Amino acid sequence: MSCLISVTQSPYGSRSAKESLDAALVLAAFEQNPGLLFIDDGVLQLLPKGQQPSPHKHIGKIISALEMYDIDELWVETESLQELGLQAEQLSQPVKLICRQHLSELWSKYDQHLVF
Amino acid sequence: MAGFLYMPNTTQSNNPASLSYCIVVRCGPNQQSQSLSALQFTQELLAQGHTVMRVFFYQQAVLIASSLTVAPQDEASLTLQWQALAQEYDLELGVCIAGALHNGIVNPQECERYQLDGANLAQDFQLIGLGQLAAASAECDRLVSFGA
Repeated sequence: MSCLISVTQSPYGSRSAKESLDAALVLAAFEQNPGLLFIDDGVLQLLPKGQQPSPHKHIGKIISALEMYDIDELWVETESLQELGLQAEQLSQPVKLICRQHLSELWSKYDQHLVF
Repeated sequence: MAGFLYMPNTTQSNNPASLSYCIVVRCGPNQQSQSLSALQFTQELLAQGHTVMRVFFYQQAVLIASSLTVAPQDEASLTLQWQALAQEYDLELGVCIAGALHNGIVNPQECERYQLDGANLAQDFQLIGLGQLAAASAECDRLVSFGA
């Protein structure tokens, strides 16, 4: 069983970012091979600098822990990156880029899909 | 985003094509139509003879498990409707414990552990961990999530 988690929310606008990553970590702990797709404002979770979230949990630190949980399928939608004026090299993790028209192919590779 | 599955030819009872579902509810009682969609979808699944392994209330949806909300007299209470469904079909209503504590939903054990003033987890709901969502998603045929 594999699950793709789409992350659409900015890191600190709501608790959604934290809660989506929590779900990913737990799925990984249960060996369900979750993948993460960062889309829309979700891409902002991958920014390495400027995160000073006190008193909240540091999303950047959770993101950097994904590798320890063997979550290495990190996808970023190209159009979202462009709309935010960002480039893949600026992100905190090595990611795979996918353009909008190929998203359905990505979804079909997974058994399940959770959108946050 | 709500996930909807179109299922033709499932009106007969004892349907041989019955599937097991895990329902994830992420929208709170204030996101009215989405919360209602989750409930009605689950009602229809059970009415058509499918199995619902677990309903998992996450994020804002944990507020549905509060026994201290009072709906206006001319409005239906989501909490009461989920309870009725749970009693009719022996349905498991699991509430994410981390989200519940964060949003002020506690059962008697957590009330005692954190020395709080009172417990308010509604009857038929239980506090469970995210791992229970992972376990259900591994076993079910279909995982359907409601909420934006």
